[in-house]
Amino acid sequence: MSLYEFIREDLIKVNLTVDNQDQLFETLFIEAYQRGYVKKDYLQKLKEREAVFPTGLSMGEYSVAIPHTDPEFIINPFIAVATLEKPVSFHLMEDKSKQTEVNMILMLGLNEPHSQLKMLQEIMTLIQDKSKIEQLLKAQTPIEVQEILKKNRS
Amino acid sequence: MKKVLVACGAGIATSTVVCNRVENLLKENGIEAEVIQCKIAEVANRQDDADLIVSTTILPTQYKIPAVIATAYITGINMEALDQKIIDHLK
Repeated sequence: MSLYEFIREDLIKVNLTVDNQDQLFETLFIEAYQRGYVKKDYLQKLKEREAVFPTGLSMGEYSVAIPHTDPEFIINPFIAVATLEKPVSFHLMEDKSKQTEVNMILMLGLNEPHSQLKMLQEIMTLIQDKSKIEQLLKAQTPIEVQEILKKNRS
Repeated sequence: MKKVLVACGAGIATSTVVCNRVENLLKENGIEAEVIQCKIAEVANRQDDADLIVSTTILPTQYKIPAVIATAYITGINMEALDQKIIDHLK
C-alpha cells in the first residue's frame, strides 16, 4: 500500500495552533480516538515514547517530526498530517540533548511493519523533498494536502 | 554468518526502512549477514550473538558490540558515509 492510502481526510489539520508538543499530541489523539483509529492508551504511550525516543528530524533547512508508538495501540492504520501555525519543539531522533522547531508533523499509526515498507519509504522520500514540504506547509485545506500527497504516489 | 540488529524505538517505522536499506547494502557488497529488526529495548538481550547494532534512535545504554546511528537513512543527509561505516564494521 502506498502512503496516499493511509492518509485520512479527517486526520489532516492545516495551520493548527498549539502551544506545545503535549497540546499537539492531545489534539491529534482526540481526532484519531473519536474516529476509532487508536485505543485510549495511545496518547499516554505516544507521549512516553516521544520522551524516551524522540522523533524530531532536522533536514537541514527545515524540520519534521514523525511521532508514533507501538503497534498494539493502533486499531486502524493511518497517517495523520498536521501543519502548525507556529512551530513546536521536538527533540532530535538521534540526539535527545538537541531540539528542533517543527511545523510539519506526520503522526504514524502503523501496525504491520513489513507490509508497510513501501509506504514508509514514501514517507522518507516525502520528508526529504523540500519543495513538497513547502507545498504542504502552504496548503490551506485538508483537500489541498491530500492532492499534494496524491501526486507523490509512485 | 554475521548478524546485524536494526533497531528503532518502537521497532516498527524507521527500522523497517533502515532494515531494507541495510539488507540491500550488504547484498550489493557481497556481505553475507542476517539482518534482524527489533526495538532498541530488545538489543541488550540480543547482542551476544550479533556483530553490529544499527539504530535510528538514541542508544539508551552502552553495548558490548559496535553500534552506529542510522538517522542519515531517514534524513537522506550523508547516507554514503553511513553505508561505508556499516560495511567497514562487517568486513
